[in-house]
Amino acid sequence: MTIRPASPLAQAPASAPAETVLPPARSPAAIALRRGLSHGGFLIGAGIVGFIVLVALAAPLIAPHDPYAQDVSRRLIPPVWHAKGSVEHLLGTDKLGRDYLSRLIYGSQISLLIGLSAALISGAIGTTLGVLAGYYGGRVDAVVSYVVTTRLAMPVVLVALAMASLVGGSLKVVVLVLGFLLWDRFAVVTRAATRQVRSQDFVAAAKASGFGPVRILAQEILPNILNALIVVATLEMAHAILLEAALSFLGLGVQPPLPSWGLMIAEGKQYMLFQPWVITIPGVALLMLVLGINLLGDGVRDITAPEGRH
Amino acid sequence: MPTRIEAGQGRAGVMRAGRMRKAGASKAGALLAGLLLAGVAGPALAGKADDTLVYASDSEPENLSPYHNNLREGVILARNVWDTLLYRDPATGQHQPMLATAWTWVDPVTLDLTIRDGVTFHNGDALTPEDVAFTFNYVLTPEAKIVTKGNVDWMKSTEVTGPHSVRIHLKAPFPAALEYLAGPTPILPAAYFKKVGLDGFSKAPVGTGPYRIVSVESGKAVKMVRNDKYWPGSPIGKAKIGKLEFRIIPDGDSRMAELMTGGVDWIWRVPTDQAEQLKRDPTLTVVSAETMRVGFLQFDVQGRAAENSPLKDVRVRQAIAHAIDRKAMVDNLVRGGSRMMNAVCFIDQFGCTEEGVPAYAYDPAKARALLKEAGYANGFDIDLSAYRERDYAEAVIGYLRAVGIRAKLNYLRYAAFRDALRAGKTSIGYQTWGSFSINDVSAFTGIYFRGGEEDLARDPAVIADLQAGDTSTDPAVRKAKYAEALKRIAAQAYALPMFSYPSNYAFTADLTFTAQTDEVPRFFAATWKK
Repeated sequence: MTIRPASPLAQAPASAPAETVLPPARSPAAIALRRGLSHGGFLIGAGIVGFIVLVALAAPLIAPHDPYAQDVSRRLIPPVWHAKGSVEHLLGTDKLGRDYLSRLIYGSQISLLIGLSAALISGAIGTTLGVLAGYYGGRVDAVVSYVVTTRLAMPVVLVALAMASLVGGSLKVVVLVLGFLLWDRFAVVTRAATRQVRSQDFVAAAKASGFGPVRILAQEILPNILNALIVVATLEMAHAILLEAALSFLGLGVQPPLPSWGLMIAEGKQYMLFQPWVITIPGVALLMLVLGINLLGDGVRDITAPEGRH
Repeated sequence: MPTRIEAGQGRAGVMRAGRMRKAGASKAGALLAGLLLAGVAGPALAGKADDTLVYASDSEPENLSPYHNNLREGVILARNVWDTLLYRDPATGQHQPMLATAWTWVDPVTLDLTIRDGVTFHNGDALTPEDVAFTFNYVLTPEAKIVTKGNVDWMKSTEVTGPHSVRIHLKAPFPAALEYLAGPTPILPAAYFKKVGLDGFSKAPVGTGPYRIVSVESGKAVKMVRNDKYWPGSPIGKAKIGKLEFRIIPDGDSRMAELMTGGVDWIWRVPTDQAEQLKRDPTLTVVSAETMRVGFLQFDVQGRAAENSPLKDVRVRQAIAHAIDRKAMVDNLVRGGSRMMNAVCFIDQFGCTEEGVPAYAYDPAKARALLKEAGYANGFDIDLSAYRERDYAEAVIGYLRAVGIRAKLNYLRYAAFRDALRAGKTSIGYQTWGSFSINDVSAFTGIYFRGGEEDLARDPAVIADLQAGDTSTDPAVRKAKYAEALKRIAAQAYALPMFSYPSNYAFTADLTFTAQTDEVPRFFAATWKK
């Protein structure tokens, strides 16, 4: 029962000669672990994301200062490696004298929160639609494909901007808008994967045993398209984080004084010419997070794919 | 080997599926890049070589008619495109003849003026007393829907009394009248205005001033050329520079980038941080001048924005006043000669005083105690609106947060901001007011506390004092009444005055430009260096 789709979009040729070179005795988990440890991109990605998740979780413990505590008499102190830097503020302070490192640390919570929640919401919507379309085909498929096409016709950034300016930007609005806008890739991928899985013998066996569609979808189909889902989820997470940064940069996303990285980049913009570290630090953090998530997703995909590619 | 190829296909497939959204994301990228690089891409039409002075500012007047916007950018246009009856010499403060050659007070509520002969509007119409009477009578009608009522509502009516004279009837004695006639009351062309209406006038405004508006591109630019037929003998004289262009660039960094790359010649409101850096550029001149503008927090005292607004409680308002370290903001954020204010007016204005006016020292402990006393030991959530100097508003929010008040920032365009406050839709407004450059307290405190649209407190005692001050002819009585009003405003903490706003001007070193404290750049007086 470990048949898995060959690729997320599954136009896969059935030939998979790599299987033959694998030692036959190992369990799937052990194989995945072995592949993971020898997959450079996966390791780097997992390292970066793991680090940032740890930082976000431990924020109250490791942040040296209150990220909201301002002291305008100590504003725009450069980072510690700068000649005028001070050890008290390792990454310096921002325009209102708030500790930049602490804001960066708390900002990781916001980025991850938005990325995860948006991926969860959009994953739930997209997967439901995609699985239904793929499993039932026919009219259901036609309707879902129509909805997906409609959704694809809407420019995400524009709609998100319009929504945020209508309702007013806030964390909740950003999460909801992104969650309801980014589900199409989930739908497309799960639909294709489900179509492939549903014609497998074990699904036919389950049907023959008299299981209902809910049970078949939940226990036979979903576990077998999971790895494709994980890959899409990481892509969407990275995408949502970038979009949040873009919205906040334009002033329509997360509102001050919340320390969002996108907002920090926006606030640093006016110092770009003369105090470039103000914009560079959150920019690098954002780059690392998105890069890490993408590497991780790519790695997971490679590792869980049955052909054993690295 | 086949597995590798397959992997490549799989990845390409995912990419293909995501192409649509990749395009979306790159659009966001392009938008960001555009914001940052706007300066580099701008057309190089500015400068000494083509005798065009391009100045840039952040906001666009909602309407170019001088009575239908109350934005500083509109005041600048008004002073460069229109003339007023009198002229106030910024150096001496004396009133000189402009469109009126002479004026006499018949009695405290009747003013006779002689209107200058030989002045023509930009469209060729001659200026007549009818234009003066039309302008003042029109703006007093409710249908005119002007937004600067506080500048004209002291007038009752204006009548033409002869081929060259008009008589203004006042509602009550108003000693500051001449100040107003020398500032925010430009004369409109009656015949043209009646013909095109307000909309038409806004799109193609006509005045008598040193510059003539030739094109209005909404949201983008207003182009002007020198009025070569400007009437001789004007105290401000003919404009020196041939073409003038007002460019609207909302983003401060883009404005600075445009200046540094020669796309514009003149910018202002440069944050002090950046102004200090710009001084290092030898092709630029940077000057700083205090202005009459004063920032203040205006509170929704009557609780119109929220039924149970904590701001209805004087202790909460006082707590806010104690929570904000205005001195630290002046010393570290604003700088450039800014002064902390304790009365809601600009300290050099006639009638403005801090004597006997309660001042709120920075005392977060006291602020917390006051909040507790008012029943908000755990603080409360509230919204704060602002329209400029976002950093200052964020600093205020940071100080409020430190005592437990969680304020959410609404950053709006000015017209939306003003209307939200007038309509009671926002709880705290981070206001700034430049008094239309009128050196009289009636133009500041009067606007915000005399019971008009901007008055969120509507305290009858304050209104009575301000009215008494406005209408008394005895300067001592005026001062005493204004002092009473200012004292009560501060004691009740109806508003929290912050500090005066210096403006940092940065312009090309080719330009000779003198900044005046009244915050009106006189582009007609600017020249190119030889």
